[in-house]
Amino acid sequence: MSRTIRLAAGQALVEQRSFWRSAEYALFTFVFPLMILLLIGAANVGSHLPGTHIKNTTVFVPGILAFGVIVAAYVNLGSKVAVLRHDGVLKRIRTTPLPPGAYIGGLLVSTIATVILITAATGLGGWLAFGAAPRAGEVLALAGGLVLGTVCFAALGLAVSSVITSAESAGPVAYASFLPIAIISGVFDPTFSGLPDWLSRLVAAFPVKALAEVLQNTYAVRPFPAWDLANLALWTAGGAAVAVWRFRWHT
Amino acid sequence: MSFGATEVLHGVDFDVHYGEVFCLLGPNGAGKTTTLEVLEGFRAATAGEVRVLGINPAAQPARLRERAGMVLQECGFPRQVRVAELIDLWRTYYPDPRPLGDLLEVVELTGVRDKQVRKLSGGQRRRLDFALALAGDPDLIFLDEPTTGFDPEARRRCWAAIENLRGLGKTILLTTHYLDEAERLADRIAILRAGRIELAGTMHEVAARAGLASRISFSTPSALRRGHIPSPEGIDLAICGSESVCHTGNAAMTLRLLLAWAAEHRLGDLDGLAVTAPRLEDTYIRLTGSTGDQP
Repeated sequence: MSRTIRLAAGQALVEQRSFWRSAEYALFTFVFPLMILLLIGAANVGSHLPGTHIKNTTVFVPGILAFGVIVAAYVNLGSKVAVLRHDGVLKRIRTTPLPPGAYIGGLLVSTIATVILITAATGLGGWLAFGAAPRAGEVLALAGGLVLGTVCFAALGLAVSSVITSAESAGPVAYASFLPIAIISGVFDPTFSGLPDWLSRLVAAFPVKALAEVLQNTYAVRPFPAWDLANLALWTAGGAAVAVWRFRWHT
Repeated sequence: MSFGATEVLHGVDFDVHYGEVFCLLGPNGAGKTTTLEVLEGFRAATAGEVRVLGINPAAQPARLRERAGMVLQECGFPRQVRVAELIDLWRTYYPDPRPLGDLLEVVELTGVRDKQVRKLSGGQRRRLDFALALAGDPDLIFLDEPTTGFDPEARRRCWAAIENLRGLGKTILLTTHYLDEAERLADRIAILRAGRIELAGTMHEVAARAGLASRISFSTPSALRRGHIPSPEGIDLAICGSESVCHTGNAAMTLRLLLAWAAEHRLGDLDGLAVTAPRLEDTYIRLTGSTGDQP
C-alpha cells in the first residue's frame, strides 16, 4: 500500500512538472476562468439579484469556482487520458509492474493539485476584485463542496475519455459536452432566466448547476442544497461506474 | 490460441535459451505479435503451456514484468516530459533498477538527456523505448518489430543498440519480417507462418531442415577437365568450364570426400575452394512463398 502511494506521488509530480512545462496548456487552464471571472464579473458590479440584497458577484464568483473545477477535473483529465490512450502511453504503462491504481491515482492527485491552484487563484481574484468571500463558518463547507465536485467531475472525465476516439477531438469533445450546459445553467450570468420550463428542468438534472449551487450556498444564504448534493452523488456513482466499466489501456 | 472461432496460433512450440538473441521471423499476419502478446501476459493462451522465466505470464503478469522489459509497437511517450526525467520515473517502477547514467549510455541518449521527448527523432525515440524497457534491469527483453519504418541509418543504430543489450547478457526475443535483421542479430530463429512454427534453430540448422544445400565450388583442375582423372565418387559434381560446383546438404562430409579425392590424385588443396552456406533468404522464400505452387 505504501509503495502504491509513493509511486502515485512520484507520478503526480512528473505530471505536474509536464503540465507547467506546456505553457499554453497551463496558461489557458488558468487564464480562461480568471478572464471570465474578471470580465463578466466587472459587468455585474453594483447589481443585485432581482428582489434580494444579494450582490450578483457574490453568486457569480462561486459559479466560476465551479467552472474552474470542471475545467481542471473534467476537461483536462478527460482529454488528457484520451490523449494518453491514443498515444499508446497507457499501453506502455501496462508493460511495467506499476500497479494500475498507482498510475490512475497519480493522475488524480495531479488533477487535485491543479484544482487547488485554480480554485485558490479564482477565489482570491474574486475576493480582491469584487470583495466576494465565503460566509463566516462556511469555509469547510466550501472545501467539502470543492472535493465533491472534483471527485464527481474527475469520474465523469475518466468516463468521457473512453468515448473520445482521437487525440485531436479530445479537447473539443470535453469542452463541447459541458460549455453549453454551463451557459444555460447560468454559471456565467447570475441573473440568467427565461428558459422554457422543460429546459430548465433538464439543466437542473446535470451536475454543473448542482455544483455551482452547492458552492454558491457557501457564499450567499440560500436554501440547503440537499437536492444538489444528491445530484452530485448520483453523477459521481454513474461516472465512476462508466469509467471503470469502459476503461481501456489501448485504443 | 484462438480469437473467437478462429484459431490463429497452433503448434507454436519453441524454447529460448538464456543470453541469446532469438528471432521470431515471419510475414505480416503470421502471428508474431500475437505470440509475443501471449508470452508477455497480455493474452491467455487457450491451450498449451507457456513459461517465461519460469513464470506463467497470464497468471502472474506483474511478476513477469519486474523481470522482463517489453518494447511494443506504437507505444508513445507522455508529451512534455524530458528524456532523463522519464527514464528516472520508469526506474521507480522496479525493485532493482539500473542506474540512470548507465541506461542513457547503453542507448546513446546521454547527449539529449534534457531534451523534451516530443523533440526526439524516430531513431532516438526507439532507443528511448529500449532505455525504458531496460530500466528495471530485466533478464529478458521483448522487441516487437524494432526497426519497422526506419531509414537505413536509424536501423543500423538500432541494431547497434540491440547488440549492446546482448553485450549486457540479456536474453532478447525479437520479432521481425526483415531477413537481414534476423541474419544480423539472431543466434537462433523460428520461422512463423500462418500461426505455425515452420522451422526453428540456428541459421544453418534451419537451412538444412528446409532442405537447402550448401554450395561448394573450386577451380576445375586441368587433369579433371582433360578427363585424365575420374570425377570424385559420391559427389554430384558439375563441371562448368573453369569452375566445378556441387550442392550438398552435408558440407563437411562432401568436403572430406572431395579432399580425399584431391589428395589421391595429387591435386593439392584445390584452388579457389569455397563453401557458401545457404542464405536465410533462400530458406524463407522456400518456406513462405512456395505453398500454393507445389504439385
